[in-house]
Order: sequence, then C-alpha cells, then structure tokens
Amino acid sequence: MKPFTAFAAVCSFFLSTSTVVCAESSFKPPQTFKNANLVRNTNLEKGYVRETVNIVVENVDKEPQSTYYLSFPSDVFDKVGGLEVRDRKAPENGPFAVDVVSAESTSDVHYVAVDLPQPLAPKSQITLGISYYLLNSLTPRPAAINQADKQYLAYSFSAYLHSAYPTVTQKTRLKLPSTNVPDYTTTNGLKSGADPERQGTTYTYGPYDTAEVAPGTTYPITLRYEFTKPVITASLLERDLEVSHWGGNLATEERYWLRNNGSNLVNQFSRVEWTLTNFQQLPSSAIRELKYPLKPGAVDPYFIDDIGNVSTSRYRPGRSPKREGSLELKPRFPVFGGWNYSFRIGWNDNLSNFLRRVAGADTYVLKVPFLEGPKVPEGVQYEKVVVRVVLPEGARNVRYETIHGASNNGLPPVDQIQSHVSPHKTFMDTLGRTALTLTAENLSDEARDAQLVITYEYSFWDGMRKPITITAGLLTVFAAAWAIGNIDVSIKKR
Amino acid sequence: MSLNQVWEAASASPYAPLISKDSQFSVGFTLLLSAFILTGLFGLNRSFLSIASFGVPASLAFGFGAVYMICAVGVYV
Repeated sequence: MKPFTAFAAVCSFFLSTSTVVCAESSFKPPQTFKNANLVRNTNLEKGYVRETVNIVVENVDKEPQSTYYLSFPSDVFDKVGGLEVRDRKAPENGPFAVDVVSAESTSDVHYVAVDLPQPLAPKSQITLGISYYLLNSLTPRPAAINQADKQYLAYSFSAYLHSAYPTVTQKTRLKLPSTNVPDYTTTNGLKSGADPERQGTTYTYGPYDTAEVAPGTTYPITLRYEFTKPVITASLLERDLEVSHWGGNLATEERYWLRNNGSNLVNQFSRVEWTLTNFQQLPSSAIRELKYPLKPGAVDPYFIDDIGNVSTSRYRPGRSPKREGSLELKPRFPVFGGWNYSFRIGWNDNLSNFLRRVAGADTYVLKVPFLEGPKVPEGVQYEKVVVRVVLPEGARNVRYETIHGASNNGLPPVDQIQSHVSPHKTFMDTLGRTALTLTAENLSDEARDAQLVITYEYSFWDGMRKPITITAGLLTVFAAAWAIGNIDVSIKKR
Repeated sequence: MSLNQVWEAASASPYAPLISKDSQFSVGFTLLLSAFILTGLFGLNRSFLSIASFGVPASLAFGFGAVYMICAVGVYV
C-alpha cells in the first residue's frame, strides 16, 4: 500500500504544478476511436528523422470524445522532439494542446493526450496532422569507414505505426536523400504485389489492410542508404541574449558542444587524403564548414574555441533592412564521425529592431529568435538547448511566450520548456540583472524560425541605478577628502 | 491579449537609446574628461562650496561618462 500512496502523492504534486498527467503503468486509453486511414511520411534527407503522420480519426463511441491518445514505444519516446498536432484541414487554427501522460519509467509504452478543441461527435471524423522529429535514430552502417569512403546510415522502424487504436489502412512513405540504397527490407504477405514500391528516392510501404491487426503489433523494417554528409549533433547549446538599454544593443553569444554521429574512422586521420578530398570537392562525412546566417545589421562577430580565436572564418555582413549576413565558420579541424568540437560565437545587433516600448507604460516587449544556429543541408539536431535572456538590472514582471505560425515551429509546447528567473551579476551591477533561462530538449534546426516574445517592466529610475551608484561613489570620495582635510592634526597649544 | 499582440500593438514605438551607438565614445570621453578637470579644480580648493560647485558635477559626469565609455568599448551594460 505504501508505494502506491507515495506514487499518488507524487501524482498530486505534478498535477498541481504542471500539465503532466500521471497514470499508472497499467494505463490504457479507452477504445473510443479508430484510425480510418493513416499515412506516415518519413523524411530521411537530414541527419535526423522527420515524421509527419496524417490520420483520419473516427469516433466509434456513443458519446462525443475530446481526448485522443498518441502512443510511442518508450525507446522512441525519449527521442521525440517538436511534437505538434493540428487539424489537417485547418492548420492555421494553431496546434492542439498536448499533455504527456507520465507512466512509470519501466512502462514500455508512453501516451500523449491530445485535447481536441471541440469534442468529436459519434461517427464523425477529423484529420489529425501529427508532426515531430526523432533524434539519434540513425545508425551508421558500417560503423567504421575509411576517410574517403561513402557513409551509409540505417533506419529501423515498424511497418505498422504504433497506435493506441485499431487502424483500418495505413502506409508509410519514406523520402531518402539518394537513390543509392544497398539494403532494404522486403515484406512478405503484408499486401499483394511488390512491397515496398520505389519511385526515385521515395519508398512506399503499404497500403496495408490492418483492421484485424491488434494495436501495438510491430513488423520490423530496416533501410540502409547512402548519406555521405556529417550527422551534426549538438549535445548542448547555450545561448545568451543580453539586452542593454544604455548601449542600445542586443548581444548574442552561443556556446556549442558539437559531435558528428557518423561512421568512425577505421585508420588514423590522413592529412594528405583530406587535402585531396578537399581539392577535388568530394563529399565527405566530416564537418568541413558551417554556414551561419545572421540577421541584417549584425556586427562584431567572433568565433573562438578552447585554444583562442579561430582565424578560419569569414563574415559577409548583410545590409539592413533585408539582406542577411553570412558567417562562414571552418572548424579548426575536420570533425569526423565520433569526434567532438566545442566553440563559441557571438555578435551584436541594434536593439531597436528587437525591442519596443508599450505606449504609456514602463513596459517593454522584446522579440528575439529562440534558436538561430547554422543552416546546412544535412540539418543539425540539438539534444539540449539552454536559452538565457539577460534583461536589464531591475526588470520586473517577466512574461514570455513562443509564437506558433501556420506550420510547426519546431519547438515543444510552451509548458514543456522549463523556465526560471534568476539574478545574473556582471559588469557595473549592484543587484544583478534579471535573467530568464529557458531549457528545451530534443530540438532540431527546424526551430530556427521560432520566435520568443518577452515582456518586462522597467522604469526610468531602474535605468538610472548604474550612473547614480557611480556618482554616489565618487561624491563620497570628494566628501571624504573635504572632511579629512578639515581635521586639524597640527601640534599646537589648544 | 497575447504577448505577440502586445508586440504588434507597439510597432509605432521601437526602442531608441538616448545616445546612439556611434556617439557613445565621444559622449563618454567628453564626460570623463570634464570629470577629470572638475576633480582637479576641486583638488585646488577642498572646501564645502567646491563640493557643490565642482564635486557634484564631476561625480555626475563620471557616473554617466563611465557608463557610456564601457558601452563604447564593447561591454554593453
């Protein structure tokens, strides 16, 4: 009885503080829906997996239903990022609220509750568009190659999508980066005719008639395809945005801990072979260069690593108001599979492009990109991103939100981004500046366009704190000089 | 009202600093120089009257001059 009481207490704590819904491992979603048709589009063109699942969902219950459950096997669930569910026929209405149903960690299936804005009447249908990406799901095969060899990645999945509900028909369409696919599973007895069907770089598994197949049934499929590009992974990205009202400046600094998840090298690195590969402009599995677009008007860029300034970079400034700048970074060494490279870059922007004052109030509103990062065709996956927005000293009532457009912004729902406000002391500070820290896990470079809006209150006298403090300090020195000068220390008769 | 609507509503009032980035150095340098001269003048005659006439302006010039000078050299406080 005692462990259950403890678990219930933990549940009630979570229920009171966040939207995570607790359930025991035996949780099973009520069988109130069926998937009339399911199409899964898997995009393997980047170094991470991008999936869009369109499901025609039908209410098979007698009552209207408003909660649909997505299910993920636990090994997949930890890799899911940027999950978003929309009405496929009205994507402009924004994403639906999703709550993670937190089961015990030993459970092999995780559920995510999707709250439909309007309850779905019995026998009526809705088309859900579910999009997410899977990090660290591609395995290099062979795991070790020669320096100039082609690299191949393997992706394994189930022909039947894991669902909490029975599915009538389903198919999976995979978009591969090249036509060079040496190995792929050919299914047997799942459908009549050839399976998969190939068309250029697209492979289609299905459609399968799965009305009689129990939910949760798996049929393993593996593809191995050429991907002679780096699999760029940032195990951690720390991004600082510093707002200065006095300087009229927005300073950005990003610290990257990069890793290439591609095939390791069989032999030692050969500088000669690398020079040849570079000279002939051959594709390589190593990170050679990162192109980093910067907003128009960005100035003073720097690129340093643990050793110091990295001189192999070039900056082409953009012109305000439209043309983007381009920061081209060449790491100090080519980053092959299994190698790491950590560095920091930073630049300055004019604050007037990012900060506005609310009319008639001491409130300011700041709109900045949540994530920038390099723009490369092979994509970048981020395991953990910590964004710290350092507001001026004395800023109060900090509120923030992320913006959702007509398509997936690549960010998790705002309640799954951890946040805290803490003081941050640096130059000329007395109380410390107000720093808002946001932590998100499992992101990809699709979140590049995501915007973060922050409002805070900041009065005239908050701004005066720095010069007044220094003024008071010097005035004290003058007063002390006068007072000490007035002390009569002469030796005479009193 | 979502925060994005607050942002859109404030489109007419982008933030403009009192002193633009280009003139931070000249303003900071002038203020620091005047603080230095006024401090020298105070040093010639350390009376209560010269605290009011030289000390207070020197302190104010140093307070604001220091803030602008640190911004001008790239440490945006």
